This record gives sequence, structure tokens and C-alpha cells, in this order.
Amino acid sequence: MATKLEQESELQSAVKNDITIMIGGQGGDGTLTVVNLLGRVFRDLGLNIYDARNVLSRIRGGPADGVIRGSTRDIYCIGDSVDILVAFDEEAVQAGLLELSETPIIIFDSSKGQLSEKFKKPGFSVYQAPLGNMAASELRRNIFKNTIAFAILGRLIGLEDALLIKVLNSRYARRGKEALDSNLKALQMGFEFATKNIPGSRYSLAHGDNSQRILSTGNEAAAFGFLVSGGRFFIGYPITPATDIMEWLTPRLPKFGGVVKQAEDELAVINMGIGAAYAGARVMVATSGPGQSLMTEGVGHAGEAEVPIVVAQCQRVGPSTGEPTKNEQSDVNHVVYSSHGEFPRLVVAPGTADECFFMTSEAMNLAEKYQLPVFLLLDQALCQNSASIEPFDLSKIIIDRGKLVNEEQLGKLSAYKRYEFTEDGISFRSIPSQEGGESQVTGNEHNEFGSVSTDKTNRLRMMRKRMMKLELAKKDLPKGRTFGPKSAKIGIIGFGSTYGPIIEAMQQLAEKSIDVRFHQIRTIWPILEDDLQEFVDQLDYVFVVENNYQGQLATLIKNYINHPEKIQSITKFDGSSFKPKEVAGSILSSISSKAIA
Amino acid sequence: MTKTVPISTPIWCPGCGDFGVLASLKKALAELSIKPKDTVVVGGIGCSGSIHNNLECYGIHSLHGRLLPTATGVKLANPNLTVIAAGGDGDGYAIGAGHFIHAMKKNPSIVYIVMQNGTYGLTKGQPSPTAVPGYEGNVEPPFDAVMTALSIQNTTFIARGFTGNQAQLTGLLKKGIEHANALRGFAFVEILSPCVTYNDTYKEWREQAYNLDAESSYSSKSRVAAFSRCSELLAGGKIPTGLIFTGESKSLETNTLTSPAPMALQDLRLETNLPKYEELLKDFR
Ligand SMILES: Cc1ncc(C[n+]2csc(CCOP(=O)(O)OP(=O)(O)O)c2C)c(N)n1
Ligand code: SF4
Ligand SMILES: [Mg+2]
Repeated sequence: MATKLEQESELQSAVKNDITIMIGGQGGDGTLTVVNLLGRVFRDLGLNIYDARNVLSRIRGGPADGVIRGSTRDIYCIGDSVDILVAFDEEAVQAGLLELSETPIIIFDSSKGQLSEKFKKPGFSVYQAPLGNMAASELRRNIFKNTIAFAILGRLIGLEDALLIKVLNSRYARRGKEALDSNLKALQMGFEFATKNIPGSRYSLAHGDNSQRILSTGNEAAAFGFLVSGGRFFIGYPITPATDIMEWLTPRLPKFGGVVKQAEDELAVINMGIGAAYAGARVMVATSGPGQSLMTEGVGHAGEAEVPIVVAQCQRVGPSTGEPTKNEQSDVNHVVYSSHGEFPRLVVAPGTADECFFMTSEAMNLAEKYQLPVFLLLDQALCQNSASIEPFDLSKIIIDRGKLVNEEQLGKLSAYKRYEFTEDGISFRSIPSQEGGESQVTGNEHNEFGSVSTDKTNRLRMMRKRMMKLELAKKDLPKGRTFGPKSAKIGIIGFGSTYGPIIEAMQQLAEKSIDVRFHQIRTIWPILEDDLQEFVDQLDYVFVVENNYQGQLATLIKNYINHPEKIQSITKFDGSSFKPKEVAGSILSSISSKAIA
Repeated sequence: MTKTVPISTPIWCPGCGDFGVLASLKKALAELSIKPKDTVVVGGIGCSGSIHNNLECYGIHSLHGRLLPTATGVKLANPNLTVIAAGGDGDGYAIGAGHFIHAMKKNPSIVYIVMQNGTYGLTKGQPSPTAVPGYEGNVEPPFDAVMTALSIQNTTFIARGFTGNQAQLTGLLKKGIEHANALRGFAFVEILSPCVTYNDTYKEWREQAYNLDAESSYSSKSRVAAFSRCSELLAGGKIPTGLIFTGESKSLETNTLTSPAPMALQDLRLETNLPKYEELLKDFR
């Protein structure tokens, strides 16, 4: 069998401390296997990892690409470009072209023919091998092409063979001897192939000191944050990209006396959540834009009835069915404004997996402390991409159930009023089964006892009591994080998954001697205007970076600060996340047109 | 003793069937000695869905059509509670119809009372799903919830009462509450409760109501028999009442809850659970 590998560029071996590798093929090609194996390699080398799935736009076929980046520094995005593409078909090369660096390495599976000449551009190094055919003829299964590719890849990036063997052992140890043996054989085939056809490695990878770090998606972190905060009741209805939260909890919550229940629709989800929360459970539900649309009436109901509930909103491309697997941040207005009437709600937005863990926990406390609905606003990239983070510090978790009463306290009261007017605006909350806590909880306007009322004076006081929570909660809401030199005159504001690209854009701009300051907003509603004003006041220009068409966050912010004319939008709404160079480029072209800097 | 929520006087028109439902429900709870502190009544939206305001126990007013998910959430969080969902036919069979089907399929041990009056009382008399042809321009045939309930293969308690027969009604409610409190599943009790203002059906229903409890040959234990007898009666212009069907099927709590302690009352402190949480940290490689 012909197993000639083409090697068309001159050889050079450079030390890389940041590398991005993309694996592309059809669904069922097993592209995720290579991503997983590379993750173990990077971990072993002490590198930080960021990985993403389904980055490419596919013409046909199932989602079938994975990108993994390893780096000695902190990374929260896939960066600007792909250094190495492993392509199991030509379509993957076509789709991946836009993502490639100027001098990429392409490992192409030539089982169905050589790569078309048009893809062999100047600067490209193309290595071709009939990976699928090799696997099928020697090991009888096409899927082993992944392991062969992994071996060739390992040689090209200067990894020790022993490390690859170790990683393979750890992945397949528990999957039976046969699987392990076949994979080890595939690996040897790859090595032999490389020995014959690749004169030397192209890179060598730097080592880092981050082996102790864990890898987590935002969804997994949020799910775990919910559990450790005493979350025991989770109801969901499957929807990308929120479903992983339910799936992470399904095998785990029952071990803690909890329940994961799949409901018939999101109307049931939010109302079942309200019922359970009212009865004393700590409740979170998770959905995406379409599901939130169905939950809308329920969220307002929780606001009026003062029932604590957390809604994780995992944004995706909308409206309608949109692009379920793609990234967008177009539900800012939806979470801030949707539902009829006026009621208090809080919207918090983490930017990294680490923050997803801790802010989910904070959201649970905020919901109970202020007795209202809290949105945990996430986006697809944050939800589903993995990043290396420090292991969650469980000792930092605090459970605050607010003014939940016990029977002893109830016994001392002369009268129990569920909606009592109090100095801090928050009333004591009883739960069914408590003697003396019997009361009416309702979405009708009501008096202090929870009896339906249309009395004007009562209405004014009740509205103020509820709406006042927005002011009260400000002291407890997550403040923004600010990065960059104080002397900077240019600022960036962003939230959610744009954190990663913005941080790297700042570094790129700093290399061009342009200082930038970045304010990562972590509370979207209510707007923490003092925080923002202080940030904006120090700057001449502020760019609000967000993944939507209208610049929803920018518009929102402008209403709350002095000198709104300083605010400018940088938006992206093609379904993909920002690249650092896109953020930096937009700022550069804007400031050069203004002739500042 | 702590003074709790003052009981509101009913908002209903004089003569409304819902008074009869309230009276029977109070009687049933009292005769079963169920404590108000352990009872949650979940109201729907409608004239009927204000019944929780007239009871001295815990009450929660849900959204229009959403009383069943709300009640299911309450029961899962604390299965020791007596949970009674009570609403109208519009609430349950129109806007909330999806939940009605799925609640029966999920089988939570709650009592579901539907005050059936063939109309939307609160919004002043539009046809509801149970409205007969000709009522306010209605051209659709009436929806029969008992037949629907019978057709769902794991229903465990189906009954129909009539406010014109208080003794029977109280008995049915007591049985339903006992069924649910034994965690035997969903107890569905439709109650013919005439709206004297927009659809006064007392006269017709007195004639049409047929008491299956009084029929010695009828067994509520057979789904097939129940289906066939009810179909026959309906075809003959009668409305079957009484205990229509009882069966056995694992309830939602029995199927899903893993801890005997109600979720609402578990020890959630970090210290208590820390070793197990640390174990989970290992899932993040
Ligand atoms: C989402 C929504 N749509 C419409 C209404 C208006 N509405 C209130 S009660 C009701 C119908 C009530 O009929 P039913 O459930 O049969 O109760 P009844 O008043 O007859 O007891 C409607 C349509 C509402 N409250 N919410
Ligand atoms: S309108 Fe009809 S259902 Fe409503 S209270 Fe009056 S009689 Fe009863
Ligand atoms: Mg009605």
C-alpha cells in the first residue's frame, strides 16, 4: 500500500509556547479523540488549555471539528489562528482555510485522493497520508486513523514518543485490553510512518507549570456551583447550549438526595421551579433564548410573588431557532426587559468557567436574599468551550438563605405576614410545613398577608417595596473587574465569553504601544452605574464589545452614564466568537481615523 | 399562637357551584384531620382559582394554566405535604392542557380538582373546552377530561363529583386526598360546578348526572369497564359521576426521590457535604 507522505516546506524547528491545533472531518470521524489526547499531552507539559467544538461552518454533515490550544499563559479563547490542521476530508480544509495562520501545517488524510492543488498555498506545509486506509487495512477499523494522526502530529510538534504512549495508556486503560492494544498498534504505525517520511520535528513545545489545573466548561462549572450551594432541585427541557448542565447533574444530584426532572416544556420548567422554590428547595433552571421566551410569564410571576429562582440563560444565535450551536450575546434585552409589568430581577454574567462556578453560587444567594428571579447570563462559547482554571476552591462557598424563618421564630411573632413591609424591604419567608407560617403567595397584587388587594395606597407601597430591591441588591452584586494601566485613554467594556479575546487584544495593542483599559461587566442588571461612571470618566473613548447586531449592552449603558458620547460599539454577529485580532483591529482603525493615540 | 393570613371571603356570585366545592373540601380536610400547616393549595387563574384564599392552610396562586407544574414542584420538594391543585376547566383543559396530560403521565401524588362549568367565568362567559355546542356560538364538541384521563395508561385515580351532591363529593375528595397522601399517585377529581351567572347548568346536570357509585355491577378497578361504561353513558346523554377508576402505578416521588428527607428540609451546609463535593472535583480532569 502506498504510504508516501509529502513534505513540501523547508524544515525548521521553533520553540512554541502557544499552539492551536484543529481537527476536522465528518461526524463519526472521531475528531474529538485527538482533541482529548492532545489535552492530556498539554496537561502533562504543564500548559494551559482552551478547547472548542464546531467552530467551522459546515456545508453538510454533522458537527465535526474540534480546536485545541495549549499555551504557557492564561488563555480563554482559541486565539487568532490555527497552526496545525488535521483534515480527514477536503471539506475540512475548505472550511478551515479562514482560520489558518499564514504558515500552517496541514495533515491530510489522502485515503480518498490527494489534496487539490488549490489548497497548497504559499507558506502552507502539507503532509499527506492515507490515514483511513492504513487503519482499515491493518486494524480493520477506520476510526484508528485518529491515533495514527496523533502519532504523526506528535512527531511534528517534537513530542517524545513515550509521552504519547503514556497518554494513550491513561485514556484507554479502563476501556479494555483490546481497545488499548489496537490503539497502541495504531500509534506505532504512525511512528513508523513518520520515521520514514518526516525528517524531523517542525516545532518543539515549551513547558509550563500549570499541571495542577483542571479543565472545565462554563456549563459544568455552573452545574457544580449549583450543587455545592445546596442546589438539589433541577428541572430542564433539553436545549442547546444549556442541556449539558442538566446532563452533568443527572447522574450526580440523586447522590445528594436531589432530583433532576425533565419537564414537558419550559412553561412547566419555570413553574415547577417556582413550586419547588416556594416549598423551600434551592432551585435553578437552565435554558436558552427560545426557552426563556416560554418562561417569560413565569419569571415575572416569581418577581411579583417574591419566589427565589435562578435561571441560567445560555445564549445562542437567535431569533427563533436561529443557529442552535453557534455563539451570540443577543439576549441582553431579553433578560433585562422581558415579561409584562415591572418587577425586580437581577442579571449576573460570568466571563470564565471559574466565574461560572462562583457566580452561580452567588446567584443562588442573591435569589434567596432578595426573594426574586436571578438570571445567570451565559453564552454558547462560555457554556461549551473548556478552559484550564485553578481547581474550584470549595472553602469559598457561602450559603446564605436570607430571611427564611424557622418555626421557633414564627412562634414568637404576633402575626406572620409573608409580604410584611420591613425596613430593608425584605419580608420573612416561611415554607409549607411550618406551624404559624401559613400564608398566601400570589402573583395578584396583594397586601402584607398575601390577600388580593387593589387598594391604591397598598399598591404604591408594594411596588416600592419590590422595586427597591434593585437598589438594595447593588451592594451585593458582582462588581466589574478592571484590567490594564490607569494611564490609558482608551477603554473596552465587555461581558461573558468576550473576556478571553479582549484580554489578548489588549496585549496585542500594548505591543503596538497602545494602552487600553478593560472593564469586564459582571452585573448586567441593575446597571452598577457608579462602577461604570468611574471607569468611563478616566477615558476618552470606550468601546463596548459584544456578539450581537444592535449593540444591546452599549445602548443599555449609554442610558446610565454621563458622557454617553464616549461609547462606541464593536459588534460581531456571524455566529462565531471574536478573535483577539478582530477586537484589536477594530480599535486600531477607529483610533487611527480619529488620529489619536 | 401566631396569627396567620386572614381568610378572605369568597369572590363568587351567590349560588356559584364553587361554594359547594369549598364546603366539601373543608369538610374532607377536617374529617381527615390534616393540619393546615402541612397542606398546600395551589390555585389556578379563574373564579375557581381563588379557592386557596378561602382556606386557612398554605396557599399559592399560580399562573393561568400552570397550577399542575407548580403543584408538582411543591410535592417533589416536600412529599410529606398534602398538595391540592384547584382550578377551572379553561385553566386545566385549554391553556394548561399540555400539563394536564403530562401530570397524569408523571403521576405526582397530588389531588387535582377541576371546577368544570363549561365556561370561562372570570372573563365573563366565553366558551371553555367543555362548553356544549351552541353555547355562545360554540361549534366544537365538548372535551371530556374523564375519558382522556382513562386513556392515559398509568392514571391511578379518576373521579367526577357534582356540587349538587355534596355527600358524594366530600367522599370523593376524601378518597382522593388519602390516595395522594399514601403516595399512590395523581388523584384527579373533576367537579361539575355550575356558573350561575354565565352558564347555569344546575337543571341539566341534575338530570344528566349519573351516579356510578350506586351501580352495584360497576367496578372502578377495571380501566376497560370504566371506558366502556362511561362511553355508553355519554352516548346516552348522561354524565358519569362517582369513583370512576382506581389503579396502581408508581408515583413520581417513588420513582424519583432518593432521600427520605424532603429536599426542602435537608442539611445543605457545605461542611456536611464537603468530602462528597471533593470527590466530585475529580470529575474535572
Ligand atoms: C395567559 C393568560 N391568558 C388569559 C388570561 C385571562 N383569563 C383569566 S381567567 C380565564 C379563564 C378562566 O376560565 P376557567 O379556567 O374555566 O375558570 P372559571 O373562571 O370558569 O372558574 C382567562 C382566559 C390570563 N389570566 N392569563
Ligand atoms: S361568574 Fe360564574 S363561575 Fe364566576 S363566580 Fe360567578 S357564578 Fe361562579
Ligand atoms: Mg370555567
